[in-house]
Amino acid sequence: MDTISRRKFLQLTGAGAIGATAAQLSISDIAKAAVTRPLPLGTPIVVVVTLYGGNDGLNTVVPFNDPIYKSSRPDILLKDTQVLPIGEDLGLNGTMTGFKSLWDQKKLAIVRGVGYPSPDRSHFSSMAIWQSASPKAHVSSGWIGRWLDSQQHDPFQAIGLGSVLPPLLAGVKQVGSVLPLGGLVIPTGSLATDCKRLSLPSNADTPLQAAAAVSMKDLFSISSTVTPILKRPAPIPDNLPSNVGGNFGSDSSLSQQLDVVAKLVAAGSPTKVWAVSLGGFDTHADEVKAQSALLGTVSNSITRFLSQIHATNRANDVVVMVYSEFGRRIKANASHGTDHGTAGPVFLAGNRINGGFYGDEPSLTAQISGDLAVTTDFRSIYGSVIEDVLSTPVGQVISGWSTKLPLIKAV
Amino acid sequence: MAISPDRLEISRLVHRFGFGPKPGEYAALVASGLAAARNTILNPPAVDLGLQSVIDPAPTDLGPFPTPNTPAAVTFAQNMRAQNADLVAWWLDRMVLANNGLTERMTWFWHGHWATAIGKVEYALPMKIQNETLRKYALGNFNQMASAMLQDAALQYWLDGNQNQKGAPNENLARELMELFTLGVGNYSEDDVKALARALTGFSVNRSSAVTTFNPAKHDASIFSILGKSAIFDPPAAVNLLTSQDACTNFIANRLWFRFISTTTSIPDSAITSAFANRDLAATVKALATHSAMKNPINSQVKSPVEWFVSVAKALKITPSKLQNRAQVPNYLDKLAQVPFAPPNVGGWPYDEAWLNAASAQYRLAFADFLIKQGDLSPITNLTGDPFQQLADWLGIAEWSSRTKQVLRTVSGDPVRTTLIAICSPEYVVNG
Repeated sequence: MDTISRRKFLQLTGAGAIGATAAQLSISDIAKAAVTRPLPLGTPIVVVVTLYGGNDGLNTVVPFNDPIYKSSRPDILLKDTQVLPIGEDLGLNGTMTGFKSLWDQKKLAIVRGVGYPSPDRSHFSSMAIWQSASPKAHVSSGWIGRWLDSQQHDPFQAIGLGSVLPPLLAGVKQVGSVLPLGGLVIPTGSLATDCKRLSLPSNADTPLQAAAAVSMKDLFSISSTVTPILKRPAPIPDNLPSNVGGNFGSDSSLSQQLDVVAKLVAAGSPTKVWAVSLGGFDTHADEVKAQSALLGTVSNSITRFLSQIHATNRANDVVVMVYSEFGRRIKANASHGTDHGTAGPVFLAGNRINGGFYGDEPSLTAQISGDLAVTTDFRSIYGSVIEDVLSTPVGQVISGWSTKLPLIKAV
Repeated sequence: MAISPDRLEISRLVHRFGFGPKPGEYAALVASGLAAARNTILNPPAVDLGLQSVIDPAPTDLGPFPTPNTPAAVTFAQNMRAQNADLVAWWLDRMVLANNGLTERMTWFWHGHWATAIGKVEYALPMKIQNETLRKYALGNFNQMASAMLQDAALQYWLDGNQNQKGAPNENLARELMELFTLGVGNYSEDDVKALARALTGFSVNRSSAVTTFNPAKHDASIFSILGKSAIFDPPAAVNLLTSQDACTNFIANRLWFRFISTTTSIPDSAITSAFANRDLAATVKALATHSAMKNPINSQVKSPVEWFVSVAKALKITPSKLQNRAQVPNYLDKLAQVPFAPPNVGGWPYDEAWLNAASAQYRLAFADFLIKQGDLSPITNLTGDPFQQLADWLGIAEWSSRTKQVLRTVSGDPVRTTLIAICSPEYVVNG
């Protein structure tokens, strides 16, 4: 960029120019403002938990008395003694004691039979559909990313834990930020000076080069405010019995991720959406042990997280949503596992949730070529999250969509 | 000032088809002209003298896992860790030291295509053998590569092929073969997946020795209809059916386009797909590298962490296995979310914007600092003439932006800071 046009550019920015490029320029200013203006109490916060690999819904929310369930998967079925009954002849996988207690407190919603029309059994296509909220046309932006597009640029607004940006956080004009576990180390001294200069925009940059410059700028704005917060201890759960046993306090990466989120929420990070994830659900073989361990981690770390949040003044602000790209086949395969299927349950948890069942349990007698029927479109859950938590008209994020579920309590 | 089209195109050639230039290489290629540069880059020698110093780690059969909590288990774990570390170092050395980078670059592409992770396979030997198979066919015939991969112990184990037996099908391998390796989504039906799974039954895998065995008694020799053809398929015939499809022509050509030219535009004409029609990968790569899209400024691409690291190591004359604290290399690559032999899933690694965020910026700076301390900065210690041009030539950059020039000007005379700025600049992290 030559001097004249850069000056002109800076003038434009100073004058409050709008648009993607201008917003990229003003990150550090906004980040500074974020330190002095923490997220106001009462602002809703969404934590999206992605389970990669296709979680077997039938061994998560288990129809343990159903004879077809029993006959379809004799080697991997969970008996009535291995589940935690929650009514309507369904039981949670026995490792999900934390979720059972949230259920009993009416802080857990279970949406059953969730999927989309014409299920796609590819991990990648199906995850792309869930993360883009577009079952028909291929769309490269994510649903939270498009929500970001409707907001003022702020690198704190949506943050994914990990070092790679999850597609759901990539919008058309704006992208969320990522935060690796352990926080970021801010460059100092002459290196900081050099890097800050290097992060300035140039009109010779291709769009990707401009994004590279912005990423360096974001490093400064995020790390200078987030790193000190990460050094503080996590909020102490105030309502967990001391003898919960099991996996509480485990060092699984999901609980680490949620620990960081809990600290940052407690500190008032101006972040409305957090994205965390856990992989390993692609259980084609030897499923029972592996999936139960994973579900125990999901249940325990989220329950622990909500207890930590409960100890702060934001207990009524936080909503957790848990989904996977598809469920699995009704019949087990011969490797004591299951192959890729269709519908599965989605969980929402928190004080703001109207606990209970949503959507019909897919019938095991009315299978669709060995698969569960989809009874609830996932976009109706997103609809509730976008409108009733993020206070944005759903049509702005998912074009042409308006259906919602009464998942969220009116404030 | 407009970027010289030849400088841009040669920068793309040398980075995308060869992991970047060694010191002096880019200036020589530019001086030789575009046609000669293409010729040099696209024609690897039969024997690459640069690879003579690379020691083959020759991983051995470590045998089955010993009983936990025994002395044998400790030795076993140490051997396994050492073999796995040597394997990664060996391949990175090859990428850096090859005089012509095309073969290693294509092997790297195919590793991301047939993405198999050592996290599940665990043993180095099957991963090494797979890597050699990918290298053997990297610029050869795609159908032969696919046939060889069917027998590949690491791939079979990774996708539960050894669990896929007559009367007890497991669809994992069949689905990914169609979706990710040969045809692409939308070019097969769910019934095709089920039928292909049964047609591929009968393999068993010994992981530690990397031996795949086909047992006809465990193969389901029924008549299946796959992609409209009804027959009794043995597994090689089933794979041949996949690779003979027109959908395979389009799919593989598009995958190559996506990784070498652009993730945002689609193949504009049929030059590349027709080059791939007879499955000749060398011809297809030539068609890609000589395509007019290579000149188009919009087709910039982000270097993945491994691509960035290898290009830096080449410029700094670093041999990865000879670095002090060489274990830091896979550590940094892990922080940047890309370690060879460890793709995140069977779909391979992400691309472009996924590598550009505050976290990767931080780790790239730290990694750059680590490398510069052990690197050879002599190409820029005594700059005369136009220092920007010499810096750009050293690293294979078409042209600096005025932004980066301004920063470089403030650190002139300091080779360490200059190098750090240069290799972390948007112009270097993103291949124009």
